[in-house]
Amino acid sequence: MKKFAVAALAFVALVAGFAVPAEAQLRVDVTQGNIQPLPIAIPDFIGDPSGAQIASVVRADLDRSGLFKVLDPKSFVEQVKDINTVPNFGNWRVINAQALVTGQVQQQADGRLRLDFRLWDVAGGSQMVGLQYYTTPDNWRRIAHLVSDAIYQRVTGEKGYFDTRIVFISESGPATNRKKRLAVMDEDGANPKFLTNGSYLVLTPRFNPTAQMIAYMSYIGNKPRVYLFDMESGRQEMLGNFPNMTFSPRFSPDGNKVVMSLESGGNSDIYVMDLRTRSVSRLTSDPAIDTSPSFSPDGTQITFESDRGGSQQVYVMNADGSNVHRISFGGGKNGTPVWSPRGDLIAFTKQAGGTFRIGVMRPDGSGERMITDGWEDEGPTWAPNGRVLMFGRTERGGRGSSIWSVDVTGRNERRVITPGSASDPAWSPLIQ
Amino acid sequence: MSQSRAIGNRISLASGAGERTSPLGIITATILHVLVIGATLFTFAHKLDLNIQDSPVVPVDLVTIGEKTNLKAMVKEQPKAPPKEDIQPAPPTPQPMVTPPDTQAEAAPDQAPSEPMIAKPEPAPTPKLKPVEQPKPEAKKKQFDINNIMALLNKQAPAAASVRNAKTGARDVKGFGAQNAMTADIQDALRSQIAQCWSPPVGAPHAEDLIVDFDLLLNPDGSVARPPQLVGDSASNAGSNPYTRAAAEAARRAIYECAPYKLPGDRYNQWREINPFHFDPRQMMGQ
Repeated sequence: MKKFAVAALAFVALVAGFAVPAEAQLRVDVTQGNIQPLPIAIPDFIGDPSGAQIASVVRADLDRSGLFKVLDPKSFVEQVKDINTVPNFGNWRVINAQALVTGQVQQQADGRLRLDFRLWDVAGGSQMVGLQYYTTPDNWRRIAHLVSDAIYQRVTGEKGYFDTRIVFISESGPATNRKKRLAVMDEDGANPKFLTNGSYLVLTPRFNPTAQMIAYMSYIGNKPRVYLFDMESGRQEMLGNFPNMTFSPRFSPDGNKVVMSLESGGNSDIYVMDLRTRSVSRLTSDPAIDTSPSFSPDGTQITFESDRGGSQQVYVMNADGSNVHRISFGGGKNGTPVWSPRGDLIAFTKQAGGTFRIGVMRPDGSGERMITDGWEDEGPTWAPNGRVLMFGRTERGGRGSSIWSVDVTGRNERRVITPGSASDPAWSPLIQ
Repeated sequence: MSQSRAIGNRISLASGAGERTSPLGIITATILHVLVIGATLFTFAHKLDLNIQDSPVVPVDLVTIGEKTNLKAMVKEQPKAPPKEDIQPAPPTPQPMVTPPDTQAEAAPDQAPSEPMIAKPEPAPTPKLKPVEQPKPEAKKKQFDINNIMALLNKQAPAAASVRNAKTGARDVKGFGAQNAMTADIQDALRSQIAQCWSPPVGAPHAEDLIVDFDLLLNPDGSVARPPQLVGDSASNAGSNPYTRAAAEAARRAIYECAPYKLPGDRYNQWREINPFHFDPRQMMGQ
């Protein structure tokens, strides 16, 4: 037996020796890496003085995403003089940059700005993207966000979300007499604007798919109803003429419908209104409280919260109200579900163990995981690329509320800069 | 147990020396000693018994596992049987990565003073940019090989020759493991080095879009010999799927970033070409 083993080993060794060919190809499977933000160098854009401002907005955008490590311009060895020549990549490798952005802004004869930029792969020594934009000088921030979106998309494969806006509830005054105003700002906190004056309570604002209209609930005349706010005209309009309270509105993905809750005799059910015909149809009819409806991105399904099973949980139904089924089984109470624009996940608020936290799960209820760990985090809203979420946070001890953002992986939690206390954010789609 | 007894005896000798004139003292001391020894028997002995175990001697032979787990298939050499690799069609040339025109920058209807912002792709400045060398697939050269022509003509290739990557040899050997007859240590060394540099875009909705395969040629000093080439499905997917393209670029950056690789120089022939260099971040999703 022992002899046989030795012979077998010797044979195996012999075969192995024979089998190593001169031009062997080695298969290597890599399954573990090291998630790190991409080191990127973004020198000030050359040409017009606005180039420095634009580059700084791009740097701030990409840094905020958590997926890029924006290198300090002071560390740069090479100064960009001409964006139409290939950079000396060695000078960028020494500062460990893996990507480089060069840009140029020129004032045109007609007063417009022309911006050219190129994104370079430093290691591979090649251009990844090169684009050109024209705009009026006062529009420079949007141009900067568009550059950020293009870089983000090229590097991550996902569309960006920097050229977007946030509508939220701005809170001011003492807790006993809190003023809540509808406010809107750019995704980076710039250009904040109040849309209502705070003389009546407003809640749950939501953008339509063109970001031109906001649906929200307001207590005008002490009648809590859903209203529409037109961004261009500043006009607001009560949506429908219902005898009782309407609340928790949200647009359909095509923008033609609004789904909302209608209260009647202590019970609330979900209704959908066609904005073109103003016809209303009832989707749920259960003695329990059904609310917080949110369409799937293809418009065929609706997720909502209901306490029909005894406690508040997340349900999914077809857009016509059929096939209602519960999807949240991960413990605690679960509410405010919001379907990701990408369709792959539903974000929700979980109330358990005395805290409120933001979680995500697949539309079939599987894969539930919590992505925040605050004391009172609630009301998630998705970035248009389905990659980042914002939510409202109240710190323990009631030190005012604030808006935070977090990556869908749970990384990169950051406070969003708002003028004063803020809550109930809703992310716009990419501005058209 | 024997240790505790010995200690007990030493104590009794020492105390006996100090009280040699008092019989009562001796009796007391003896009783105390008996009690002490008894106590050790009942308490420590029990525990010590548990700990005293002979370590079994395990004879081991140090073997390189690659020889057993990673055998290259070998087929018995047959006269006139061309090796399989010669009759394979040329592998598809990796598709160039095309930048789709960016269409997201458009006019903003809400901003009255603004003029339409037109984004148009700029051509890369070419004058100083060296074109990336696209190495010709090796099989192409072999089209002019007389053996290859014979193989193409000979439609009745022996079945044995269809074993994947099989070498010919003295007898049939069934392939096992990665079938490349490499020891696992080189793969582990490469894996652990590249893991430091590899940061795939794990936020993508479909994890399988992020799987990419590269063909990597290395110099004897461990540096990258030529730009790594995408191979297999990922080569075509990267042209159409932005997630795959981003994943491919992340892997390519990692390959450059981590070079030169520290690998055993005397076995350069084993790691000269890594193909496929397979990047699969599915286990990292949701981290």
